Amino acid sequence: MSSLPVCPVHDLPPGHRRLVTAPGNISIGVFNVNGRFYALRNICPHRKAPLCRGQVTGRVTSSGPGDAQMHGSDQILRCPWHGWEFDITTGESVFNPHKVRVKTYPVTVETAAECTSEGETGYIPLEDEPAIETYPVTVEDGTVTVLLSERSRST
Amino acid sequence: MSMHAPSESEPAGAVRSASCFTLVDTDIHHCLAGTSDLLPYLSKYDQVRLKQFGTGGTGDPYAYNGGIHGRRADVVNEGKWVEPGSNISKVVHEHLDPGGFDIGILTGQSVYGASAIADISYAASLCRAFNDWTIEHWLPADRRFRFCMAIGTQDPVAAAREIDRIGDHPQICGVLMPGGAPRPFGQRFYNPIFEACCQHHLTPAIHFFSEGGGINPAPTPAGYPGSYAESRASRFTIYLAHLASLIYEGTFETFPDLKVAMLECGFAWVPSALWRMDSDWKGLRQQTPWVKRLPSEYVIEHVRFNSQPVDEPPRRRDVEQLVTWMHGDQTLMFGSDFPHWDYDDPARTLTELPAPLRQRVMADNAAEVFRLQPLEALA
Repeated sequence: MSSLPVCPVHDLPPGHRRLVTAPGNISIGVFNVNGRFYALRNICPHRKAPLCRGQVTGRVTSSGPGDAQMHGSDQILRCPWHGWEFDITTGESVFNPHKVRVKTYPVTVETAAECTSEGETGYIPLEDEPAIETYPVTVEDGTVTVLLSERSRST
Repeated sequence: MSMHAPSESEPAGAVRSASCFTLVDTDIHHCLAGTSDLLPYLSKYDQVRLKQFGTGGTGDPYAYNGGIHGRRADVVNEGKWVEPGSNISKVVHEHLDPGGFDIGILTGQSVYGASAIADISYAASLCRAFNDWTIEHWLPADRRFRFCMAIGTQDPVAAAREIDRIGDHPQICGVLMPGGAPRPFGQRFYNPIFEACCQHHLTPAIHFFSEGGGINPAPTPAGYPGSYAESRASRFTIYLAHLASLIYEGTFETFPDLKVAMLECGFAWVPSALWRMDSDWKGLRQQTPWVKRLPSEYVIEHVRFNSQPVDEPPRRRDVEQLVTWMHGDQTLMFGSDFPHWDYDDPARTLTELPAPLRQRVMADNAAEVFRLQPLEALA
């Protein structure tokens, strides 16, 4: 598994994000949601917009007509074009979690890391809708790191 | 106003006049003995329009209709004007029988304007009277008749009381809601109507009318159409506004058993409405989080559209595509608009559709949404 160092932990506080570019010119957004790190492919499956530059907000639910409540404030990413919403922690679409998903990457925190991998590219199709890629993120000795060579929560 | 002291030379009590007059009336209403008095002063074209439309009255946008006063010329009696739709025998023998109909839903029209009256008590009285008149004279006349009862939509509590009063009549299948309204029908202001409809297993049926009349705003957001053709072209916006309101206000979440019919709405606009609402819901869902499903899913489950005036693509084979796009096997139903001039003949309408789909459109969808059964089964 190759990894992509992002930044020291203190440079990415809760509610903030960083855009990084992996080898192969893959743009990835790294988010701190309530102290945990998540990485998403910076492409919306709808119209290929730079998803990770969208607004970060809470999840809105309702118990019935006229009632609306927002839960949290930093878990939902809203695409800057057309407003499709995705859960940053899973890459799943809010409106259609079974069919639409962003690619995620694992993120770690490390002392130092070198990025040597070619990384993942492309989409993971699920049923009739394209998917969004997510990546695992780790923190090792103070550095936020995206893991590139392994798909995360992609099925 | 200038003031000046009385002159020493004027006699006591005398009023100084600046004109040679002592009394002026600024408002005397003269009028024509009949509108035909204007004929010698009009062009030939406008003479015809005067005879057909009159002088415009209070500006009713439906004054300018097609046909003869909006009616089919072939069913209008010669000589003295008689509403063809007021003649039970004519409706039975010149429409139900030759058309081969098993059921004919009476939707009225005489008191559609009641929903636009500011005097809500009078509006309720008119609707109640029209309902009782229909129940006494029309419903016993033919077992095929069903009825969408009249209500005044501007007073939902009174409307609900009227539905409670007669809604269990076996031939009443719906509640007619004229499309003209100061607020769209999804707003919870109208919930008493929908609640009563659900209790009595009746279907609200939205039919355009009285937009721009009485208490209602202009027929379009851009104002008043200048001609009847123009009003027809923009008419779907009335239905679209009510449909979007019903979806986004969550009416079908509040009333899961509610079905809604849209009458004389045409249908080519429906695919566009479904696609637009679905697309926008994906991005704007957080503004109406009570809308749990795609808008099109609510429409397919809850809303039915009447086909008249039928949309006619230049290539007739495109009709099936259009109907498929709107999920017409579940959402489209036939209506003739008898005795109006833009009547659709059941034998010649939507014949482009394959037989199973056409069966859905000509009978099954209406039977489901209005919960229609033979009268024997209802007894």
